[in-house]
Amino acid sequence: MMKKLSGARIVIEALIQENVKVIFGYPGGAVLPIYDELFKQNKIRHILVRHEQAAVHAAEGYARSTGKVGVVLVTSGPGATNTVTGLTDAMMDSVPVVCISGQVPTHMIGNDAFQEADIVGITRPCTKHNYLVKEISKLAESIHSAFHIAKNGRPGPVLVDIPKDIQTFETKYGGKKHTKSFAFYKPNTKPSLDTIVKFVNLLEKSKKPIFYVGGGVINSGSRASLYLKKLLKITGFPCTQTLMGLGATPTSDDQFIGMLGMHGTYEANLSMNKSDLMICIGARFDDRITGKVSGFSPKSKKVHLDIDASSFNKSVNVDLLIQGDLSKILEMTLKYIENKRISFSKEKISTWWIQINKWRAKNCLNYKNSRSIIKPQYALQRLDFLTNHLDPFITTEVGQHQMWAAQFLTFNKPKHWMTSGGLGTMGYGLPAAMGVQIAHPKDLVIDVAGEASILMNIQEMSTIKQYRLPVKIFILNNHYMGMVRQWQELLHGNRLSESYMDSLPDFVKLAESFGATGLRVSKPGEMDDLIKEMIKIKGPVICDVVVDPKENCFPMIPSGSTHDQMLLGPNDKLEGEISEEGMVLV
Amino acid sequence: MTESHSKHILSIMVDNEPGVLARIVGLFSGRGYNIESLSVSEVDSDRFLSRVTVVTSGTKNIIDQIKAQVRKLIPVHNLIDITELKSFIGKELILMKLDIKQKSVLNIHKHIKNIGAKILFEDKTVIIIEFSGTPNEISGLIKKMKVYNIVELTRSGLVSMALGKDYIRR
Ligand SMILES: Cc1ncc(C[n+]2csc(CCOP(=O)(O)OP(=O)(O)O)c2C)c(N)n1
Ligand SMILES: [Mg+2]
Repeated sequence: MMKKLSGARIVIEALIQENVKVIFGYPGGAVLPIYDELFKQNKIRHILVRHEQAAVHAAEGYARSTGKVGVVLVTSGPGATNTVTGLTDAMMDSVPVVCISGQVPTHMIGNDAFQEADIVGITRPCTKHNYLVKEISKLAESIHSAFHIAKNGRPGPVLVDIPKDIQTFETKYGGKKHTKSFAFYKPNTKPSLDTIVKFVNLLEKSKKPIFYVGGGVINSGSRASLYLKKLLKITGFPCTQTLMGLGATPTSDDQFIGMLGMHGTYEANLSMNKSDLMICIGARFDDRITGKVSGFSPKSKKVHLDIDASSFNKSVNVDLLIQGDLSKILEMTLKYIENKRISFSKEKISTWWIQINKWRAKNCLNYKNSRSIIKPQYALQRLDFLTNHLDPFITTEVGQHQMWAAQFLTFNKPKHWMTSGGLGTMGYGLPAAMGVQIAHPKDLVIDVAGEASILMNIQEMSTIKQYRLPVKIFILNNHYMGMVRQWQELLHGNRLSESYMDSLPDFVKLAESFGATGLRVSKPGEMDDLIKEMIKIKGPVICDVVVDPKENCFPMIPSGSTHDQMLLGPNDKLEGEISEEGMVLV
Repeated sequence: MTESHSKHILSIMVDNEPGVLARIVGLFSGRGYNIESLSVSEVDSDRFLSRVTVVTSGTKNIIDQIKAQVRKLIPVHNLIDITELKSFIGKELILMKLDIKQKSVLNIHKHIKNIGAKILFEDKTVIIIEFSGTPNEISGLIKKMKVYNIVELTRSGLVSMALGKDYIRR
């Protein structure tokens, strides 16, 4: 006979059934029964973060580097509200996360009880789904469906709010197999064959094609990457990737023409602009990609492959939609090409490649290096050169350093690049790196950071110390909120309102105070030694890389402009004023 | 692509669970879509299903986006755009309270009968009438009744159904 278990115990048992090995959390009154059950078992490891936002980012890092669901456990009220930024981040970037929050007991809900917050109400728009468990009989079902929903279809965060009395009530739990109806959510994953036929037809006809690849490919799994690589090879078409898509196929590949978008390469953006066929795979025509929509790739036929039907025709109208799981779509496409013995003539696209290579020859990522001061681009080029053979996992904060990292680092494997794309959350990189390091204890994990962003979750140094996580923090310290300064220079008459970072800590001493190693460098000639030493050190390291405070990130498509109105360097001036329309964009 | 706005009646089958209406309404307000009319009630008590009818308007792209976003909500089982079916009916209900102290009751009764409304309550001072009809008919009724002293009125959101064989699957 099935034994009765407490709600708290059921939570733990259900997590074990979901094959959860690690959870990131922070205790408090409303989750004490669950923490008590956690104490009594040894199948699940709990990582005690220092702020609940960091718990979610850590779970995101864990999820994005493994493909598994990241799990968070927090208390009611402030514990739960602290997760909101993390959940929104996971929502925007489609990261599977399950967040379990404690809640005041059911009979006190609605009374403004101590540490009560309507977290289900608050997180409704920033989760894929959420549950308030009001009956013990619904607990197991809610947890299992949370996992099911988080990872199926377009992934996203799911929150399960569990009142404290539910955690102490008892009921029978027969495991996931005996739990009813948790898998009612069944998004369509299979594309229809006739769309595949039309797709291949378009591929055959195109003279100026481009693959525009997003994070959906990585979310779909390693098979999607493999199939895409094959399709690239068969067709010989050029490929650009979004910020979220970097590493979906190797960025060292010759057909890769750089990231696209606001800080994308000249060749990628112009190829988008001038193409006759755009093949969007698991991306969403986000405003960082399209620039001014009315001037976005005006002459191309557009094909959109995605699992999420709400991504179709959202900002840009496309000619052919293929809804389904990308690995299935790509697999069917390859099969069809093979069965029909279709071959793609490299001849047909040869003029296109000549054109692209001309754009490439502009060398748009070029910058003026210096002997006396470290250019941030140089620091990243050296980091790439000296660590690439180790296939490091890279996370970032948000700002110029993030864009430079995207431009200058090489990503040869999917799931090795974790950055906050949709929400642009400063403070993401450090906790995300913790989550990655927990999942990959032996690998090199580097958070490419800005001195402003790193301070947003710097308390996590304490977590890093506690779990001896050898995370490397590579701060490109320009003493400015560089990205803010860049916009102020460009759009606000160089009035640098509140973007200077005064009173920064001594990052070397800060590292030491948390038992980590602090290294500082300010001369280009010392750059390599610093990186080599950083890799050699077994524990956590903070590198304070003092870089040129004035460097700006190029190319740049100013807001409200089109792909062919790119600024390539500091001497490129805006043509006329930024339109009023552009000024209000972020 | 036409940029003209058109009105759409969306019929949505959802699990009747706490917060489900908030999810739908929140989606509309959060994404800046407008709701011109809304009605919701449980229609299947065995399977705890509610039917929500939303009247909204927008360009084709916006309407498609609304439908795709609503369909993504986990408790949503099915959505049909009634306006896209061949023919359909849409009805609202109105309750209206008239002050009859100054008027001849006989005339009022006649008037109400002609219009096809029903008297729900009556005493020496007020009459409450009930009427159901299309939104246009209801607006017409309100106009006509303005000759009396309308003390209060309340009207429901639209409910709608396809004519013929078409129906929303559960
Ligand atoms: C939480 C949060 N607040 C504000 C912003 C707006 N913002 C974007 S970049 C940036 C400056 C980042 O400065 P830093 O971390 O030093 O990076 P840098 O641009 O200098 O490389 C700011 C304030 C943001 N993205 N996230
Ligand atoms: Mg900075």
